[in-house]
Amino acid sequence: MAIPSMTGLETALRGLTAAQAAIDTTGTNIANANNASYSRQIVDLTESSSLSLPAFSNVTGQGVQLGTGVDVTTISRARDQFLDIQYRAQNSNESGLSTSNGLLQQVQTALAEPTSGGVTSQLNAFWQSWSALAAAPTSAAAKQSVVDSGATMSNTFNAVESQLQTLQGQAASQYTTLIAANGPVQQDANQIASLNTQISQAMGAGQTPNALLDARDKALDDLSQYGNVSVKDQGNGLLTVNFGGDTTTPLVNGNTANAVTSLALTPASGGTLGALQGLTSPTGQISGYLTTLNNFANTLASTVNALHTTPPFFAVSTSTTALGATATTLNVNPSLVSNPSSVQTTSTGNAGASDIAQALAGLSNGAAQSSYSAFVSQVGSDVQSSSSTMTTAQTMLTAISNQRQSVSGVSLDEEMTNLISYQRAYQASARMMTTIDSTLDTLINHTGTVGL
Amino acid sequence: MIGRITTLMTAQSTVNDLALSFDRLSQTQQEMSSGKKISQPSDDPYGMSVVLNEQSQLGMLDAYTNNVSDGSAWTQAGQSAMTNITNVVQRVRELVVGDANGTNSQGSLAGSAAEVKQLIAAVKQEANTQYNGQYIFAGTTNAAPYQPSTGDLYQGNSGPAGAVTRLIGPNTTVQVNVDLSSVLGNGAAGSGGSDGKLLDTLNTIYSDMTSGNTNGLGNADLKALDSNFSALTQMQASLGATSNRLDLASSRIQSMQLSDTQVLSNAQDADMAKVAIDYSTQQAAYSAALRAGASIVQSSLMDFLK
Repeated sequence: MAIPSMTGLETALRGLTAAQAAIDTTGTNIANANNASYSRQIVDLTESSSLSLPAFSNVTGQGVQLGTGVDVTTISRARDQFLDIQYRAQNSNESGLSTSNGLLQQVQTALAEPTSGGVTSQLNAFWQSWSALAAAPTSAAAKQSVVDSGATMSNTFNAVESQLQTLQGQAASQYTTLIAANGPVQQDANQIASLNTQISQAMGAGQTPNALLDARDKALDDLSQYGNVSVKDQGNGLLTVNFGGDTTTPLVNGNTANAVTSLALTPASGGTLGALQGLTSPTGQISGYLTTLNNFANTLASTVNALHTTPPFFAVSTSTTALGATATTLNVNPSLVSNPSSVQTTSTGNAGASDIAQALAGLSNGAAQSSYSAFVSQVGSDVQSSSSTMTTAQTMLTAISNQRQSVSGVSLDEEMTNLISYQRAYQASARMMTTIDSTLDTLINHTGTVGL
Repeated sequence: MIGRITTLMTAQSTVNDLALSFDRLSQTQQEMSSGKKISQPSDDPYGMSVVLNEQSQLGMLDAYTNNVSDGSAWTQAGQSAMTNITNVVQRVRELVVGDANGTNSQGSLAGSAAEVKQLIAAVKQEANTQYNGQYIFAGTTNAAPYQPSTGDLYQGNSGPAGAVTRLIGPNTTVQVNVDLSSVLGNGAAGSGGSDGKLLDTLNTIYSDMTSGNTNGLGNADLKALDSNFSALTQMQASLGATSNRLDLASSRIQSMQLSDTQVLSNAQDADMAKVAIDYSTQQAAYSAALRAGASIVQSSLMDFLK
């Protein structure tokens, strides 16, 4: 029983091809070493089918299976889908927290506490001006100072109030931009749908489109920062993507992407969109702050006006903002601003008496003051707890990202080691080919030439 | 557990660690440059409420301090005016005693009468003393207590409505004026007859001197003058007591300012020694991290392959 003469050459060629594929793949891996969305590629090798040689041995009378080398079956991605799910969930969580943290930080900055530009210190100045008026009830300058410090304090309060509304408005417009038809969410959705089409075509042709799969995973990662993402594989390379917790209408269904606006998004949608919805809602955190400010203004005005009755010292007006929150404006009575001499110091009619001014000075450290400092503390602790949960989420995101990188990332040391072994394999296969060539040379050119 | 460590992971975690280290450094630097450990509410929400409360407390203590010094100035102005009135009364008493023994001539009595008339005017002038634009003996009316057009009739108010008070603490007021009209009275003007108060007595003395009633001078007038004099000194003493009370309040406010400033400082100010040590430790750690990062990411297997 004989072995076909050219079998060895074929085996050597297979070895060369496999080594070359491995070297080229290593090259791609090295080239993408710093590409965060790249998944390391692995050449899957399988032994090629053996050559059956029946009754090879005269001793046993049995045949053998002769190995014919190696086959490159696929070039696959090193990727863990479960880590992807964890990463996307944590990414939604983290970006939602960091969105609300950023906005809360701005709220805190708008309060300008504990500087002299804050409402608290101007409220102090207001009470002190009453105390000064109580000591000089007939002084026009002291009355002017009471009106001025009241107006300064009101202006600061109104500025804080309108700053909060502006922040809420900005959050609302950010939300609108994100879900717009040309916004990032819709773009991700469209990209995923078109990638779905390409991937299913490639898979239908029996290929593994690694680059397309990486691009789709990157788009899904990107999408997850805007809201919760849940992915279901339809088979044949198509994905159904549910977004923002809407289980009825998927954002992407195979080849088609739905409009983000057709989805029912809620503050529980997670991600940036969920956080923005929560912050802008009429029952959200910023609306809550506006209500607290509203209560403060009313408490202040009613306690001051209860003592300074004719005319009432403060005027409070409320309105409803475009986002449904209650906005408050605090003002010193315009008639007092134009005519500070009508500031009341006494209820007795004696010009030198100052019972009202004294009672007003005595309101310092009262209900209004403590409600405002409680508000400042509340904002402070909200920012603090939001910062610390955000830090935790960031740490967890980094940990999951590291785990994912550990599976999919490129290690240059590893690739170098592989490169050496693949290079050696290539060299050995080439040497194998030379050896076969030389045996054939012996057979063809030197057989039958004995003695010549 | 992480099995493989890749190049990107090493680079990313180096960057993360450096960022963390730098963040700590910049926080400490902020504490150091501002001298405050609370520069915004989220640094310490509870501490923040302490800071705000102490600030407003200190603000009101400043206001109380102003009120106390204003009140002290009122009582001092009152005391010096009353001392002048006392001197006048003593001078009148000398004249009365001199004229009462009946040895003085009618001309000398007329001279005394002229002086007493001047002295009465001096008493009213003292009663019209102003401090900071306000008549200190007019109660709360802020009108001159004795005016030429109304003669000896007191124009101010008295009793609780006439009390000028200063706020020297939470819900604590002190009356800084006295009701001088209860000593000076309304003179003899009007049909109400004589009220026996100082102005009435001085007017009686004047008329007795003019009419030469030395008996009246030596008996009833002298007696009335002495009783008014003792009422005057009693009032002066009460003003002195008010002044003492204000001094006490001032020192109490000062000690409260001290303790509140300490509480504020404890809540808000950074411990500079600690911050400085933290800063140098963190800076050393940061430099070390930078150096380590530079050398770790640099080397790979490629450095050792030909």
